[in-house]
Amino acid sequence: MTTNDPAAFFRAMLGEWEKMANTVGGDALRSDEWSRAMHGAQGATLQAQAAWKEASTRALAAANMPSRTEFEQLSARIAGIEESLARIESALGARAPAPPKVRPTRTRKPPEPQG
Amino acid sequence: MPPTPDLLTAAQAEFDRALKRNIKGLGYFTTSGPTLGASPKDVLVERGTMRLYHYHPRVDDVYRVPVLLVMATTNRGYIFDMVPGQSLVEFLLDAGFDVFMLDWEAPRPDERRLTLEHYVLDFLPSAVAHVAEETGEPDLSVVGYCFGGVLSLLWAALHPDPLANLVTFTTPVDFSKMEMFQAWADRRFFDVDHLVDTLGNCPGDYLYTAFDMLRPGSRAAGQLRLYDNLHDDEFVRAHRMFDRWGADILPLAGEYFRATTKQLMWENRLLRGSMTVGGRPIDLARVTAPFLHVAAQHDHIVPPAASAPLLDLIGSTDKREMVLKGGHVSLVAGANAKKRLWPNLVVWLGERSQ
Repeated sequence: MTTNDPAAFFRAMLGEWEKMANTVGGDALRSDEWSRAMHGAQGATLQAQAAWKEASTRALAAANMPSRTEFEQLSARIAGIEESLARIESALGARAPAPPKVRPTRTRKPPEPQG
Repeated sequence: MPPTPDLLTAAQAEFDRALKRNIKGLGYFTTSGPTLGASPKDVLVERGTMRLYHYHPRVDDVYRVPVLLVMATTNRGYIFDMVPGQSLVEFLLDAGFDVFMLDWEAPRPDERRLTLEHYVLDFLPSAVAHVAEETGEPDLSVVGYCFGGVLSLLWAALHPDPLANLVTFTTPVDFSKMEMFQAWADRRFFDVDHLVDTLGNCPGDYLYTAFDMLRPGSRAAGQLRLYDNLHDDEFVRAHRMFDRWGADILPLAGEYFRATTKQLMWENRLLRGSMTVGGRPIDLARVTAPFLHVAAQHDHIVPPAASAPLLDLIGSTDKREMVLKGGHVSLVAGANAKKRLWPNLVVWLGERSQ
């Protein structure tokens, strides 16, 4: 169907462009060249991050400050304490149970097929 | 032959639309969009990355067998509970199901050591035990979405007893058919050990970029389409919901990411039958409960070919695959899901939940 409406023409063109960009772009992104370049750049970034991490860990140690790893260890210990508290809470709750919730009955049947 | 549209009328309509677009555009930038995932619920478990919710029933009499939704570890569970009227959770509650959801928070840096074993042998069994305790029922239906489906399959193969029914949506089993992800995870170029050893957890931004690159033209086209439809409240609301959910990608625990990359993306072990979790072999033939898999015809993340062998691998006699129109997300949420997937799911589960 043809149309004189420029806005409708723009919408149709946008749909076509999107399909084309997904197909052509998808083919390019699936290629070995792209994967090699992407992971090469990523590897370099990771290398730089690792070097920076090591340098900052040394600097923090020299300044007698906790490193990120030590914070993570602390966070893991706090998580362990929280889990223990949750277990204690639930054991105490079992001794003095909360008033029972209003629960639905569990006898529902599927509706009869129609016709 | 249809009448030629009157140019003046078309110009007038376009002018009106442009005017509304500008007025509503101001509203777009000054509001934060609808509140998502707000169905009333109790949080039963809040442990590290794991969350277990129990939604408040909306009927007086429910089916005996409760339903546990298992979310993919890369995304937030509110895709199942967008807004009232567009919520799978609400749809299931209204149809008479007792609904739970296993959802995930971003793993903390110290949770980088979480492995596949933690998910399959700890989080899932713990969720199932809480559902049994809460309902008093010995069995349940498990509904897994995407990688939540993979976790559900691995769990079900090792713990077949409490399973009344298993449903998976867009769940890959042949990872060689996920062509774009295969290209990017190519072991000749991708050093997963270097990434995990350096960063700990796999960052959410990294995963977001990967999902975005699957359709390189869609983000720009989506923004232009949003501008074109700013006058349409319903379009804008749906765009905001899905855009927010799509950008809300969770990091993955480092060891878990390393294991899934090697065992599934590189070695395709689930399809080959050589997958192990905690040293225990995974045999999907041990899943004998009624099974339903739903694939999306236009899924660009998990193409139907990636889940096609699933039905043959499952041991159930009562098993079925549905391929519905839609994409990876529109299969489970939005106006089309409400017409296609949700009613089918309710009927299938209803017949098997007494």
